[in-house]
Amino acid sequence: MITFNYICSFFLIVLGFYTIVTKYNLVKTVIGMSIMDYGVNLLIISVGYNPGGTAPIFTAGELTKASYFVDPIPQALTLTSIVIGACVTAMSMSLVIRMKESYGTLDTREIRRLRG
Amino acid sequence: MTSSILVTALQYLGYILIFPGFLFCFLCGNLLIGIDRKLVARMQKRVGPPILQPFYDFFKLCGKETIIPAAASKTTFLLAPLVGLAALVVLQLFIPIRGFSAFSGTADIIVLLYLLLIPALAGILGAAASGSPYAGVGLSREMVTVIACELPLVLVLLAIAKAVGDGTGAGLCFSMGAISEYQIAHGSLICKASMIPAAIAFLMVIPGETGNHPFDAAEAETEICEGMLAEYSGAPLAVYKLTHAVKVLTLTSLFVALFLGGVGVGIPAVDALIVFALCIVVTAIFISLVHAVTARLKIEQLFKYYWTVVSGLALVSLVLAWYGL
Amino acid sequence: MNLMNLMDYHHFPIYSIMVLFLGAFVVAACGTKPSKNLKNPAGARAWIALLATALSLFFLICLVKPVMLGGEIIAYWMGNRAIAGGYAIGIALEVDALSLFFGLLIATAVFVSCLYSIRYMVHDDCVPQYYTLYCMLAGGVLGLVLSGDIFNMFVMVEILTFAAVALTAFRTKVYGALEAAFKYLVVGCMGSTAILAGVIMLYAQYHTLNLAQLATLIPGSMNNATKLAFAFLYIGFSTKAFIVPFHPLAADAHGAAPASISVLISGVLTKSGIYGIIRITYFLFQTMGLGTMQFMLVFIGSVSMFVCVTMALAQHDFKRLLAYHSISQIGYVLAAVGLASGLGFSAGLYHAMNHTLFKGLLFLAAGAVLHETGTTDLGKLGGLSKKMPHTTVLFLVGAFSISGVPPFNGFASKWMIYQATYQRAVETGNIGFLAVTIVALITSVLTLASFVKVTQSVFFGQLPAEYENVKEVPFGMRLAMGILAALCIFTGLFPRLVTTYLTEPAANAILNVGSYIRSMGFKSELILQRADFSQAGVWEPVSWLLILCIALLAVTIVAVASKYDSVSENREKNVAAKYQLFYGGEENVFSQVGGGDLFWGFKHNWRHYFGFMHELHSGVVNDYALWAVVALALAISFMMIVL
Repeated sequence: MITFNYICSFFLIVLGFYTIVTKYNLVKTVIGMSIMDYGVNLLIISVGYNPGGTAPIFTAGELTKASYFVDPIPQALTLTSIVIGACVTAMSMSLVIRMKESYGTLDTREIRRLRG
Repeated sequence: MTSSILVTALQYLGYILIFPGFLFCFLCGNLLIGIDRKLVARMQKRVGPPILQPFYDFFKLCGKETIIPAAASKTTFLLAPLVGLAALVVLQLFIPIRGFSAFSGTADIIVLLYLLLIPALAGILGAAASGSPYAGVGLSREMVTVIACELPLVLVLLAIAKAVGDGTGAGLCFSMGAISEYQIAHGSLICKASMIPAAIAFLMVIPGETGNHPFDAAEAETEICEGMLAEYSGAPLAVYKLTHAVKVLTLTSLFVALFLGGVGVGIPAVDALIVFALCIVVTAIFISLVHAVTARLKIEQLFKYYWTVVSGLALVSLVLAWYGL
Repeated sequence: MNLMNLMDYHHFPIYSIMVLFLGAFVVAACGTKPSKNLKNPAGARAWIALLATALSLFFLICLVKPVMLGGEIIAYWMGNRAIAGGYAIGIALEVDALSLFFGLLIATAVFVSCLYSIRYMVHDDCVPQYYTLYCMLAGGVLGLVLSGDIFNMFVMVEILTFAAVALTAFRTKVYGALEAAFKYLVVGCMGSTAILAGVIMLYAQYHTLNLAQLATLIPGSMNNATKLAFAFLYIGFSTKAFIVPFHPLAADAHGAAPASISVLISGVLTKSGIYGIIRITYFLFQTMGLGTMQFMLVFIGSVSMFVCVTMALAQHDFKRLLAYHSISQIGYVLAAVGLASGLGFSAGLYHAMNHTLFKGLLFLAAGAVLHETGTTDLGKLGGLSKKMPHTTVLFLVGAFSISGVPPFNGFASKWMIYQATYQRAVETGNIGFLAVTIVALITSVLTLASFVKVTQSVFFGQLPAEYENVKEVPFGMRLAMGILAALCIFTGLFPRLVTTYLTEPAANAILNVGSYIRSMGFKSELILQRADFSQAGVWEPVSWLLILCIALLAVTIVAVASKYDSVSENREKNVAAKYQLFYGGEENVFSQVGGGDLFWGFKHNWRHYFGFMHELHSGVVNDYALWAVVALALAISFMMIVL
């Protein structure tokens, strides 16, 4: 079951790369970056998954061998990563807006004053 | 105690100022140029100037007024020739004369490669500081010449480092002193088959580094009014002329030290004379003769020549040395 | 008693990071209203930032004695949550000589650049926010190098990427700033994502994020997932170091950012990438002995140095040219570090330090030119040396240093790199390393050429009429440049001091992974070893300089005696015809030789190469992203085959 998660997460990462590389619209580039991020988030959360595990809340009575926690660290990492992903999107969208104002286009092929 | 320090200090001062420093450079460099001018003239069926003409020129120029153009940055403009000359004389101190070397513990051959850049760089900065467009064109060409000469020079020096390193068992050897000692013990490097192409490449580099015909695109008198020297007059010009003379001496004696280091008898004074005689021979063949029979190359031809023909020769040598031949 | 505890030097690493983030917070809390002082619109905020950076530098300098000289490795558990059950559950800082070495570089550059910013940023709007971002960026980089926890490294990478992107786009009106920031953000994010993916793959295998513990676990138990993680981490840190194929981003970002930020992006951010690569390859995966791995790093380093120096030769913009050179020099660092020998590490780290110093100096000089003239276009400038003499001298110091002219610092480190590569070539008999030595030597002379171009085009030649009223930059800016110039000369003249007290301890730290692991409380079988720092060549800069000075003195005395400078002083006012430029009798007209194409003799022979490269660096963000993906794919296949 968890293998499917891994496959999906790598599929999402590759899809993100694909979008960034092939799409010439700035907004689509930003979407590609987000997809890439989601892929990694899925990967992180899947790593910490334990089949049949409970929430990682530590109470003395429950600590028997039968009840595993899911690993809490990846969940914390995912939170960090999601926050960062949101920041990336916000920052890139604000840049896109400013670029639309100054270049008058969203096509990456025309936004190339700096080259060579 | 103090007196022995004083004697040592005086001795080193003597090295710097008299032999193999200033006075030696001044006399021998100008003499080489004099011989070169005479030889070229004879080859072109002219009478030519007397051999002492460079000395007369030097003193005459020193007496002339120094004109500083209004557009020039004065300090750099005046300081550059002096720094270039001083750096070149210091470089001469590091080149051993058959085992005798005043300061061989200070710099190795890679450092020499860089120290050779300093006079060219000083000239370039002085030219840039003059503000003249002729000098601008000149310095551009000079820099390209330097780049062109650098690749073969690098290859030659690395080949020598490897060949000597193999011979002494150290693997590689950068020290000038060790190269000279190796040659005294095992005979000159030019006797090794692998070093012959390197020696030829080095000889071809000499006129390029000194800016002699046919590699004098940077100074092309008829075309860009002596290029880098366009704005110089009086004493700074004299210093530049002297720098050129010393550069001829430095490069030829560097060739002698690197490839003919085994020649000599072991008495310093006689060895110095032998080295100087060899310098004259090298100058006569690879500067004067080449000057007399060739026409000036365009800068892009010059570059191509050095990076293909000369570098190819040096590379052959490096590969041969690499495989221990 | 309590206070004494707080001043224990084991706390200093976290203090040095904290003061910067605290500075960012305090500056932000001061609000966004610009001060009325026209000479310093940021008001007290600038001084807060300066104080924070100065304190940070101070704390790190205090650590030199125990860490560099005493050989101690400071392991610091945040909140005192140390190892439990054999696993590191807390977050750790671990400062060994390598971390401290990079930390010192970073703190120095940050402090000097902050000093420079105060007068440099006067013409900008939103200056108050600038210092917040500035402190964030500084704190992020410092946190990265001092961290002992791989996830923290990722967080710091994100913080610094963010701050760097925002600061790149800071001057939104500048030509191309937004575009540069966006490209940097896209590819930078791909890099960060790669780092995160790598981190998490390692976590999935070893259930720890602590660097020292990972270093004990990984080397014996490599599997495909670990190799994949290695490739991801390597590519991630490569984007931060901007080495090939990520160099176009560096050129865009460095060129568009304000000069004080370019200093950080080129002198500091690239170092964090190099630091990351060193930590990953030599500590986590311990690939010291692996010939193919060495060769890959050295190969990428040499390609970076050569490609970027040729790209720099084709540039028409001062800062863009500097940016390409920056990556070219990073190529030297990577090539030397990739050799994995004691001398190689020492040389590479030495060059890394020198790069921070001279590159900082050059960018600040470029900023000074921009500040006074409003342009960095090489084709429009000229003759500024008469108007800005101090800046010219300081620039020349930087230019000589980067081109490796003796006795400046660039020469000392490059010379060690030549020896290290050539020694390795002789030891292994591999002719590839010999090619690296040759490429490095040629790159050095091409660097010189391109700085001759800048010198001629900007500072010498003739002064265009519109810059007639240009003045020297304010003292604060000159002071910042002067500090860096003094350091450039000092580290060039005393290479023995630098190697003994800074680079050799750091090189030893790289070679002794065992002590890094043990000082964190984990077990390691790795034995202590002493590195071999012996060199084949000799170079005594001080005695050379002494001889040169004597010689120069002698020449000057002779020259002055022969009335060397005999011109009357008042020539500026009424220029007689003979003091005009030599035009063969024709009228003096303005004609400046300079600009991007100064070396046509060289470029003509390489025209196909330059044309090809110009086409390749298309400026389209998709292309650069494609390069990143291809690089990732190549890295993955390489790791899978080789490890």
